[in-house]
Amino acid sequence: MRLTLTKREVLRGGVGLAGAAILAPLAAPGPMVRPAYAAPTIDTPAPGFTGTDSEGGTHSLADYRGRVVILEWTNHQCPYVQKHYGTGNMQALQREAADAGHVWLSVISSAPGLQGHVEPGRANALTAERNAAPSAVILDPSGDIGRLYDARTTPHMYVIDPAGTLVYRGGIDDRPTARWSDVEGATNHVRQALADLAAGRPVATPVTRPYGCSVKYGSGDS
Amino acid sequence: MRQISVKGFGWRVSVKGFANLPKDLRRAAIALIPLWLLVVCLPVAAGATDARVATENVTATLVSETRAVRPGATVMVGLHQDIRAGWHTYWKNPGDSGEATDIDWQLPEGVTVGPIQWPAPHRIPYDPLVNYGYEGEVLLASAVQVPADWPVGEPVRLQAEATWLVCADVCIPEQGSFSLEIPTVADPPLADPVWAPAFAAARAALPVDLPWPADAAVGPETVRLMVAAGDWRQTRPADVHFFPDSWGVIDHAGDQQVTQSDAGLALAMPVGSAPPVERLTGVLVVAEELDGGTVRRAFAVDAPIADAAAGGGVAPGAGPGVAGLTGMEGEVAGAAGGPGLVLALGLALIGGILLNLMPCVFPVLSMKAMGLVRHAQAGRGVILRDAGAYTAGVLAAFAAVAGALLAVKAGGAQIGWGFQLQSPVVVLLLAYLLFAVGLSLSGMLTVGNRLSGLGSGLASRSGPSGAFFTGVLATVVATPCTAPFMGAAVGFALTQHWAVALLVFQALGLGLALPYVALGLWPGLLRRLPRPGPWMDRLKQALAFPMYLSAAWLLWVLGRQTGVDGLAAALVGLVLIGFAVWLWRIAGETDRLWSRVSTALAALALVGALGVMAPLSQARSPSDAGDSGRAAAGAQETAWEPYSPARLAALRDEGRPVFVNMTAAWCITCLVNEQVALSSPAVLDAMEQAGIVYLKGDWTNRDPEITALLESFGRSGVPLYVFYPAGTGGDSTPRVLPQILTESVVRDALGLG
Repeated sequence: MRLTLTKREVLRGGVGLAGAAILAPLAAPGPMVRPAYAAPTIDTPAPGFTGTDSEGGTHSLADYRGRVVILEWTNHQCPYVQKHYGTGNMQALQREAADAGHVWLSVISSAPGLQGHVEPGRANALTAERNAAPSAVILDPSGDIGRLYDARTTPHMYVIDPAGTLVYRGGIDDRPTARWSDVEGATNHVRQALADLAAGRPVATPVTRPYGCSVKYGSGDS
Repeated sequence: MRQISVKGFGWRVSVKGFANLPKDLRRAAIALIPLWLLVVCLPVAAGATDARVATENVTATLVSETRAVRPGATVMVGLHQDIRAGWHTYWKNPGDSGEATDIDWQLPEGVTVGPIQWPAPHRIPYDPLVNYGYEGEVLLASAVQVPADWPVGEPVRLQAEATWLVCADVCIPEQGSFSLEIPTVADPPLADPVWAPAFAAARAALPVDLPWPADAAVGPETVRLMVAAGDWRQTRPADVHFFPDSWGVIDHAGDQQVTQSDAGLALAMPVGSAPPVERLTGVLVVAEELDGGTVRRAFAVDAPIADAAAGGGVAPGAGPGVAGLTGMEGEVAGAAGGPGLVLALGLALIGGILLNLMPCVFPVLSMKAMGLVRHAQAGRGVILRDAGAYTAGVLAAFAAVAGALLAVKAGGAQIGWGFQLQSPVVVLLLAYLLFAVGLSLSGMLTVGNRLSGLGSGLASRSGPSGAFFTGVLATVVATPCTAPFMGAAVGFALTQHWAVALLVFQALGLGLALPYVALGLWPGLLRRLPRPGPWMDRLKQALAFPMYLSAAWLLWVLGRQTGVDGLAAALVGLVLIGFAVWLWRIAGETDRLWSRVSTALAALALVGALGVMAPLSQARSPSDAGDSGRAAAGAQETAWEPYSPARLAALRDEGRPVFVNMTAAWCITCLVNEQVALSSPAVLDAMEQAGIVYLKGDWTNRDPEITALLESFGRSGVPLYVFYPAGTGGDSTPRVLPQILTESVVRDALGLG
């Protein structure tokens, strides 16, 4: 009954056809003002980038072809990041990755003045204090790398295989809370993805919900 | 660091810095809370206690809707969060980041609790992300069921551990332990005067089942949701937004493009990151500007996802034709912020240029183009001057339209441009105008000074004033053609600062004027125009036919609005105009006496043509009545009578109870209220048994009798629901119902029990 076309509806249709071509551009303002970033696609080449680390060194994704690369977006003041560093969860995963010969890049995309933004010296101190073991801490205060990867939360994790293909993006595990007690018993998606890679299997769960604080991008060039 | 103080019937713990405590200490503190509670609550045996945890950012309180509960019944219990300004907590799907509030209950044996009934969320942007949650305050309620064998007098003691994340630009996880004792009684308990209103508000914000069928399709880029709300003729700006139940189904931060067609509403949303789902579930929120503020309605959506091969196309069963209609005219501005200013101006400019091709505008422009041909030898200065005057005319007219819209907006009424076409009188006058212009083009009527007031005469004058009025005329004539499709621009403009709105309209106008200006700036183009000659007359005569067609189209519109009687009256009016034109010619060709007689008769005929409009102003659309009746009454076709002041007065004199519903096809709140609350057989039966007469007025065409009633209640728009209880005079004071109805609201207000 509700789907029956009434005369008025037919009228509107006629009116619509007459004017559609004319005003279609007016009617479709939406897509053109979308922010100019999009999530990188699984099973396609991970977007290339070059970043500067807290020691002043330069890292290009292309340099690490042939090795597994893990990207970790982080913000030491975010309670969700604190959950994984406070419990030692993140450091343990970093060490496992290092032992396997993988490259672990922690990325800080917080803009100056916003939560989690650090100068190089502070970044190194944080690594030492927390006994963390990343290969390098990339400082991305412009947010360029973050936007390139559509990093939304801290933590937000990405795994890139030796061929440079993105094979995982999402949360670190399946317990989207800030409760420290939830680390135990959680399924760590990154560990699973690395295990799949090591075993030569396709990553079983390539996309999950990232959870945590929002990445504190500056508003300048978004 | 931590303060505890007993306050009234509750207790207060400030947990500033709580989250920063070492884990073990925090756990210990939490474990101690029930002990404190016991100590504090024991003396307060008189009634239910509430438990409150106040942090810097959230004051959270565990509350119940009634002061007591009857064994075997349910009681609504909820966590009320009073959130610091600028901060927010999260919905069940928090969006791009964040975390939903979680309540972990510890209940006495036999007592059960339902899931959180989440009020509709709000979109909380944090560039470039978007979160879903709540600002200000929110009540997360659940139904608690007390077993029938629970001993009366023994209070039900509820305990809950709640965690929530509260964020501004930074996020703070917070938690609290709550306890609530609800006395049990044998009789139906009284509402808690403090918290019942909060529960009522939360209930009003709960999604109701979508009263229309919905379909979804997922393509590689786009998720489409189609809602068959074809009976909603939306003419005013409204905010439509879909919130998916789970993460990643759509790109939360992406713009949602809303279009409306005969098939209903269609939302196009960029696809999210999560793996495909089988059904699209979530909440569709429609915010509509009504008399008295914004009304937000939330609908629970559970739509099957059509074959993915459809590739984000049209839902099956939507029918042919719909493919062309969906997505072409967006009468609802993009809910996610709308176009940016530069983009809006650019689009308005393009839209304006394209307006030149509209059937209503093109002939007028052509007339002026012919004028240009004539002036081709006149030199660049003249042409430029005319082009400038034409542009000024268009811009002035658009400024006037924008100014009027803004004035009305400032006056408090949010209107859509489409209202012009909703008046049959306006439609008929435009049909007359176009018919007369057609006759003029056909050579039946020499439009000189006589009809100069009708615009086309002004427009065909030479010199800058002629060009100026051509510009004005082009705009005026464009309005009826564009009205139904201008929603996006108007919607955008009306929601913006007045200066922005004015700019958008000026850009539209500039676009309309641009081809003419181009001719002025590059006379080379002009030279490419053909040389004057007899073809011009033929062209002029040919241009009459689009005019007649436009008139025919307008008559069709009129016929839809007023039925065959109105259409017949309009046709007689056209004949009278033709008659008057003929007499006019005679007047010009004969001697003085006949000339006077003819002129007098012509004037009489014109008066007659205008006279046929009189009944139209009150005419009601038969199809509208049919639509509304079908929508509301369903099987109960005789459930209501059409409203008339006489009928209402008669019923009131008899002392009969009357329920009046003032609605309109373009008011979605009205339609939803009818479907959700007023068309249920139970309500209609109860009304019938109570002897309540249900009168319904359809304001789709702005019936003045309904306007009068609205005004008598201080309203300037629909919906309006009034209940006149039984009795006469002072015994029966009319009671106005809220703008959002539920079955229980109607039952309570009408005393249906």
